[in-house]
Amino acid sequence: MTALPGEAYAAALAGLPHLTPARLRALLARMEPSEAWRAVLAQRAFPSGFPTRATTDDAIELLGKEAAKVDPAELWDRCLATGTTVSLLGGDAYPKLLAQDPFAPAVLFSRGDFGALAARRVAIVGTRQATAVGREMAVQLGAELARNGVAVVSGLAAGIDGAAHRGVLSVAEGASPVGVVGSGLDVPYPSGHHKLWQEVADKGLLLAEVPPGSIPLAHRFPQRNRVIAALAEIVVVVESRERGGSLLTVNEADRRGRTIMAVPGSPRNPVACGTNELLRDGCLPVHDVSDILMQLGLGSSLFASPTDHRPPPAPLEQGVLDLMSDRPLSLEELVSASGFSVPQVAVALARLEIGGWIVETAGCFERVHVPTQRRGIR
Amino acid sequence: MFAAISSASLLGAEGLPVTVEVHVSTGLPGFTIVGLPDESCREARDRVRAAFLSSSLPWPSKRVTVNLAPTTRRKGGAGLDVAIAVGILVAAEEIPTRAVADLGFLGELGLDGSIRPIAGIVPLVAALESAVPVVPVGCEREAAVINPKHRSVSDLAELAAVLRGLKPWPDRPMPPPRPAPVATSDFSDVRGQLQARLAAEVAAAGQHHLLLVGPPGAGKTMLAERLRGLLPPLDAVTGLEVTKIHSAAGLPLAVDGLIRVAPFRAPHHTASVVSVVGGGTSSMRPGEVSLASGGVLFLDEMSEFPGSVLDSLRQPLEEGVVRISRARGTVSFPARFLLVGATNPCGCGASANSMSCQCSDALRLRHLRRLSGPLLDRFDLRISVERVQADDLLSDRRAESTETVAARVLAARDRAVARTGCANALISGPALEQHARLTSEALALLRRKIEAGQLTGRGLHRIKRVALTLADLDGHEGPLDFNHVATALLLRSNPLALREIAA
Repeated sequence: MTALPGEAYAAALAGLPHLTPARLRALLARMEPSEAWRAVLAQRAFPSGFPTRATTDDAIELLGKEAAKVDPAELWDRCLATGTTVSLLGGDAYPKLLAQDPFAPAVLFSRGDFGALAARRVAIVGTRQATAVGREMAVQLGAELARNGVAVVSGLAAGIDGAAHRGVLSVAEGASPVGVVGSGLDVPYPSGHHKLWQEVADKGLLLAEVPPGSIPLAHRFPQRNRVIAALAEIVVVVESRERGGSLLTVNEADRRGRTIMAVPGSPRNPVACGTNELLRDGCLPVHDVSDILMQLGLGSSLFASPTDHRPPPAPLEQGVLDLMSDRPLSLEELVSASGFSVPQVAVALARLEIGGWIVETAGCFERVHVPTQRRGIR
Repeated sequence: MFAAISSASLLGAEGLPVTVEVHVSTGLPGFTIVGLPDESCREARDRVRAAFLSSSLPWPSKRVTVNLAPTTRRKGGAGLDVAIAVGILVAAEEIPTRAVADLGFLGELGLDGSIRPIAGIVPLVAALESAVPVVPVGCEREAAVINPKHRSVSDLAELAAVLRGLKPWPDRPMPPPRPAPVATSDFSDVRGQLQARLAAEVAAAGQHHLLLVGPPGAGKTMLAERLRGLLPPLDAVTGLEVTKIHSAAGLPLAVDGLIRVAPFRAPHHTASVVSVVGGGTSSMRPGEVSLASGGVLFLDEMSEFPGSVLDSLRQPLEEGVVRISRARGTVSFPARFLLVGATNPCGCGASANSMSCQCSDALRLRHLRRLSGPLLDRFDLRISVERVQADDLLSDRRAESTETVAARVLAARDRAVARTGCANALISGPALEQHARLTSEALALLRRKIEAGQLTGRGLHRIKRVALTLADLDGHEGPLDFNHVATALLLRSNPLALREIAA
């Protein structure tokens, strides 16, 4: 037992369900992790007058029982096996950015590179029950921010969160993604996001407040949201219900004086109620990425005209391309508007796609205005 | 004392030759039927006896035993009634044995002695082989499909009189053919929708399965119904096969008996697995997949079908036959149909790209989950059908008619059959390699799609098959061009945007 580093005991403490972030921080502020662990085990962790909310004898007993079930050595092995780094608040490795926060996690689990936090940071959050339109918006914002060198912070959940990071990962060279999750770093939630988690950890940074193996519990998501708010300079809400979890992130961001922006939606759309409410309360609207960049003081980079290396389309293809100048069109609309036959349009579309002039999404063809190879801020 | 009469019983879409053996002997008067009759067949005892008495024929007050050979196979239905009655008359020496020597009897008896039509006359007559079939009045056209030398009788008294030599065979004129159905739906009714029209033409020419995705009112059903008219007429072999299936199911046949027009079946989405695949009764009724064989199986609101029904389609789609195994036997039906599926892109009915759909991902996914996976993969053509635009709806310009398009389809199909002996969708892998060569430009396009992860190995083969059909429709020879491949790629898009949602 003595051979274990302090981080192993800290990791074990962080995994106890009844040791809230505030209690954990108070505990580790007073004692070394190994000492704290022994105190919790012996059920004498919180002497009277402990500077946290009333910690009853019952709670101390409960913690002792919980701790008895955990083997710090086994947990430490799991941290090592999953490539998880454990950083303690106050330690050298702990990111400065987060250490400044009054509610910073006492123990931070991470995979990837803390260097990702050196970039400008914008959180993109929203509902898990997103619409196709909202998801599309999140993907686009994520991709554009990354392309402009802005790190996107998000919760890697279903819906908007995941979509934003998919957008970030679609950009070959851009800012690194930052994911903050509510379960153990080896317990992807939702399980379908397994690959997304892995890619974020590989290309950027994946953070959690609980040790590997911790299952997703409802109360941990609001805690996770406070970390997102602490890391981000701006929080952008893409879609949210009237009482969505993303509004908790907004509250946390508000407490820290962060800028909050929201994507407007139809008043009749239930998943736009929360965002529209935010706009009514005076948040800044996001119509496209330039609104966010402007707020970060990066606005000018967008207007630098990029060099276009795409081969100019042939006259027939140009005709088809011009039809798409306003909005994405379906094949049927293109055939009807152009007056060409389906094969003629098919050839034109295939050539335009090869040339990088258009992209197809869900059966619709959309004009690409800037070449996709474009780099971020130079 | 003894008689053996030829008849047949229905098993699946084929007839089972049955010899009805009757033995009349002294002993306690009684009437038994042995040889695995099912309940409706056993009830022949009461029907036959009543029919004898109603027709003023003498009922032998002796011990009557009827055996249905082969005794190992179960026989169902009332179609053996007439054969049993004739057998008793011969065994009771009311009719000379030689009078029935070359005859086979089919039909159900009424208590008044009338002889009623039965289902499955076409396969049953085929099973009688060389014997001259004696069929109920009303079944002449079906019997004529197989054997033009058939006889028809209206009741037992008439039959007995003919067989005793008291009367000649009645010479009834063929019943007037049913009026040919007036073609009410023409392909020119499909306004605009050039993509959907092209997809229907390609589907008909190459036998490619077609998935239509679109909001309600976009004309998915209308298109599917008109696709039937584009299909080439059935050849003689397939026509007979289809006729047998339809006859076995008791469906009305075509005007002149033999079905030459591709069938169209559109089961409702509450259909059960047995009704779609076949089986069910003791005679193993053919299911919708077999009734649609040679034609179109249209599944409207495909996502509403139970998953078990959709999964049961996979094997017939792959093999072109359904094999139904039950404890009492195994039958196989042909099931080479063209599957046309139609679905809304989403539960709310709005199209995937329109801003009006505000359904959550979870809802959309639930709507589409039944379709995803292997079944979706089997559609060579997947297109989204949008609502017709006002200009197209109001314009006077007529689109190409069924006649024009069907002629092009037929020419393309002939070209495909001359090349490989089958429609393009059914070409085997090696034959596809040999016949679907690509120009370098077309090859580059496919390479790009594969490298971008938008095309899998299986998808590549389907694209090549569709491109081959497009070339056939063009009358194009030589390697497949860029435009064929580009069009094929567009006709196999991913209108459900499953990839985006599935994450």
